[in-house]
Amino acid sequence: MKIKFEKLIKSEYFRFILAFGIIKKVIIILLILSPHLTFSQSYYLYVASESEDTVSLLKFDKNQIEEIERISVGTFPTEIEGPHGITVDPNGKYWYLSLAHGNPFGKLIKYSTKTNKVVDETTLGLFPASMQISTITGFLYCVNFNLHGTMAPSNVSVVDPETMTEITKITTGSMPHGSRISPDGLYQYSVAMMSGELFEIDALGLKVNRVLDLENKMMKNKKMSHKMMDMDKKMDNMKMNKDKMKSMQNMKHSMVKPTWVIPHPNLKLAYIAGNGSNEIIEVDLENWEVSDRFKTGKGPYNLEISPNGELLIGTIKSEGKTAIWGLKDKKLLSLLKNTTSISHGIAISSDSKYAFISSEGIGGEPGIVDVISLETFKLISSVEVGKQAGGIAFWKKEI
Amino acid sequence: MLLKFYSMKKKALLIIFFLFSITLTSQEKNLISDLDELKLNIGEVYKPNTYSVDNQGKKYDCERVIYYNKKGTFSSANAIEFDRNEGTLKGIEPGYHEVVAICYSSGTSSRRSFNVTVNYPKAKSINILTGSNTIYNNTYIPLSYEITDEMGVTRDIDYWKSDNAERYFSNLEFSITSDNNKLDIDESNNVLAVKQGSSTINIVFDGVKSSKNIIIKKNPVVNIDLKLENSEKFKTGDVLNFNAIPYDKKGNIIKDINIDFSFKGKSFDKSNSASGLILQDGRFVGDVAGKYIISASFGNVSKSKVVNVFERNIKREVKNIGTGLVNDKHTSDFWVFEGVDKRDYAVTGTWGADGTAYFWDVTNPSNIKKIDSVQVDARTVNDVKVSPNGKICIISREGASNRKNGIIIIDVTNPYDVQIIKEYTKNLTGGVHNLFIDEKHVYALSAGQKYYILNIEDPKNPVEVGMFEVGKNGQSIHDVWVENGIAYSSNWRDGVYLVDVGNGIAGGSPSNPVAFGNYTYDSGANHATFPFKSKSTGKFYAVMGDEIFPNGVNPYGTNETAGFLHFVDFSDVKNPIEIARYELPGHGSHNYWIDDDILYVGMYTGGVRIIDISGDLLGDLYKQGREIGYILTGSADGYIPNDTMVWGAQLYKGHVFYSDFNTGIGVAKVSEVKPDSSMQNQYID
Repeated sequence: MKIKFEKLIKSEYFRFILAFGIIKKVIIILLILSPHLTFSQSYYLYVASESEDTVSLLKFDKNQIEEIERISVGTFPTEIEGPHGITVDPNGKYWYLSLAHGNPFGKLIKYSTKTNKVVDETTLGLFPASMQISTITGFLYCVNFNLHGTMAPSNVSVVDPETMTEITKITTGSMPHGSRISPDGLYQYSVAMMSGELFEIDALGLKVNRVLDLENKMMKNKKMSHKMMDMDKKMDNMKMNKDKMKSMQNMKHSMVKPTWVIPHPNLKLAYIAGNGSNEIIEVDLENWEVSDRFKTGKGPYNLEISPNGELLIGTIKSEGKTAIWGLKDKKLLSLLKNTTSISHGIAISSDSKYAFISSEGIGGEPGIVDVISLETFKLISSVEVGKQAGGIAFWKKEI
Repeated sequence: MLLKFYSMKKKALLIIFFLFSITLTSQEKNLISDLDELKLNIGEVYKPNTYSVDNQGKKYDCERVIYYNKKGTFSSANAIEFDRNEGTLKGIEPGYHEVVAICYSSGTSSRRSFNVTVNYPKAKSINILTGSNTIYNNTYIPLSYEITDEMGVTRDIDYWKSDNAERYFSNLEFSITSDNNKLDIDESNNVLAVKQGSSTINIVFDGVKSSKNIIIKKNPVVNIDLKLENSEKFKTGDVLNFNAIPYDKKGNIIKDINIDFSFKGKSFDKSNSASGLILQDGRFVGDVAGKYIISASFGNVSKSKVVNVFERNIKREVKNIGTGLVNDKHTSDFWVFEGVDKRDYAVTGTWGADGTAYFWDVTNPSNIKKIDSVQVDARTVNDVKVSPNGKICIISREGASNRKNGIIIIDVTNPYDVQIIKEYTKNLTGGVHNLFIDEKHVYALSAGQKYYILNIEDPKNPVEVGMFEVGKNGQSIHDVWVENGIAYSSNWRDGVYLVDVGNGIAGGSPSNPVAFGNYTYDSGANHATFPFKSKSTGKFYAVMGDEIFPNGVNPYGTNETAGFLHFVDFSDVKNPIEIARYELPGHGSHNYWIDDDILYVGMYTGGVRIIDISGDLLGDLYKQGREIGYILTGSADGYIPNDTMVWGAQLYKGHVFYSDFNTGIGVAKVSEVKPDSSMQNQYID
């Protein structure tokens, strides 16, 4: 046995393990020391200003956030084209922007992160909004919000960003919003604001996999009755053709008005912002059912989960606030007032340390991006950007 | 020991690198598919065999393959249809298509694009169209081909001129010959009758033969009488009407033959070139002062007439006489109106700002006074209009913080103290870009897709009474203007729609708008339309304006603008004809106004331009020297200093009012006198 052990410790294999172990130790020591080392870290992100037709490139150095470039977007200098959704390619080389207003269809524009110049573009549907790229399929999934048209099922555009070709449109619900991809890249989730549904799309099969009605039946029974009565009266007074009448009857008015869905990075759960019902809805993705609901302030809008899976961050749009919940017990940890009104989008740094919140403002007020520490839950810094700041995307952390 | 340690470390790193490189190389697979150069017939379904191979040639089946047509679902018009459940594709539209295949296997993906051809259906029959079997010697035969394919689809010769047809024809056998030397066929397949008698034209197309017998008669025309119907001193831009009457040897008039008109000319100014336009009905216009020879011919018989065309010489001095400066934000549209107190007022909107609209007293145009303003929840107040009685102003909203936009109705009975009386958003939440007030109704655009018609007899309680939309997939609208019960909507690529909203021409009303006329043009940039009944000729035109930014937004300086005004003769609403254009080189059109046969147009970077559009109109109006004058409106005090960007113009009580994106509202006066040239540099004694 002893001889065997001596052989073992003299073997190449053991020495390799030992060497690897030493490297590992060095790495561990560096990791332990890292908070005390004075590395200069910077975080970069993009934010779109819908009523200014600009995108701002922001840099945050752990103390101050600053606008380092403002990029004019769109093609009509005298028309507001409404940059709404923004996302960065997983490889960090490109960023993608949806322009909500076109003639009438909106566009998806591809920009280089190196130059912030247009690389390519393609036409999508009516009011293209939020989007994300799947690391598995490589495709970009963008919801066509169509929030101003006749209430009708809209769709999700699937785009191959390599060729900037819209491959297909997948029909979902009325006013789809909040396109987010599952951690494994195989599913895309969006919610339909007016029809109150959660849609799961098979990212490879390019078809709807499952649909979940998000209405709280208790609430629906109480409140829908009044709304429906009102609607019945109005419809009696309206001169409508039979087809339109039929379409309106088939289309429900959600009380939940879901505006965002975010799947958990590690668990088979997704969280939905009930903008109309002032709640967060937890969905068990395995059993495809609502597993919890908890109340929020007025008008939760966007949601994101820190990459470490510990915190849920939500903008409370109507109150101009940002809420932070611990996902272990779903307790509200902090509720912060944003620097200006109408809190909108959220981007979280890849190290789960900071949340960047865009707020729209009203009229001629500038949009503002706030930085919130996810360790102290304090507002650290703010920067003014273009009017109606909305879509926001984290790009990179640089040492 | 230390050396050994480094050696160990190196090995460990190598192994890590090797493992990592396996991961990298495992992703480098090539995609193979029998899609390459695939040819499909229309309707044919094909299931491709697609897989990937690695660098060692190992084959990997695709766990999933996604195919798509590279042009996309919007632009390809479903040229190839994909059944992603079955993994098949189906040929829909003939032509060459690029199909992208993406193969997913073992957690990696590989991709490649392939050229797939959907065959045009084979031609089944060909019909040679010549109009008549009898032609005259020394004339060309007006040939066209009507090709019917095996699927029963008929295409005409126009296909030959398009890119798709070029590809279509280039791959197929096509020949045209005659059976004798009485027809001369050139390299471009034009056929000229050169000898009297009979000849047969033979066509072979895609293996299908067709022939047509032609009788070639002696040219009966021995003389042409060329008359000029209007005779006076001609100026550039004047339309001359030539009438050519062919006679036979007995002196009889020959009917039913088409005389060819042509011209050549020489400019009076040797540094210039003569140019103009002649139509086959004999209408001629000279753009440049010079001597022109107009010819009418049939076969080898022709007659000419010489005309001198002189300078139009209508330039007048235009001077800016007043400005209402707005230099803390961009200015959008404006409207000048007579108030209930008979004084003169204006309202201006603002763009990309804080939702403000300004009210001005313009009674003394040289002393424009800002007298009041309203601020609403919006970023852009793009359009502003005032009711004909001067009591109600309506402004449009875009970028409202609650995304409900709509319109704001304002009581302007006292323009010094305007009062908001109603916010109206129903069906208008997507933003109102433009609107128009006509008597009791307001026409308001909705989300750039349609317009709603609201009754505003009780302005505190507007009532929606009607809606108009083109009704096409992707319908889009930019503007609407109403005159004499006809609404003229400008619908980008769908052109102008003439809609009866009370005129009676098509039985329409505000609650029952009925479209009765439409005209589109190739650029698809129809942004505004102004109806114009010529006082001097009685002709009726729709003047359709473009809006084009050829290089998009220039964040560093002046935006380049393009596009022009299209004069479409709508005298026959069923057969509108585009007859003239006003195009200012280097500058693009925006909004405009026509009064007393004079056009006042905001040409964005080209300033305010004033154009004589009297008399008959034909060809290039700018080149013809029809411009009376202009002003550039950029100001050192502007929001963007010295950057002219005129939004629109309106003639009001003899003054030319305008709004400029960077300076606000201004007013100019067209003088009776010619422009002063005392400061112009001179090189000639």
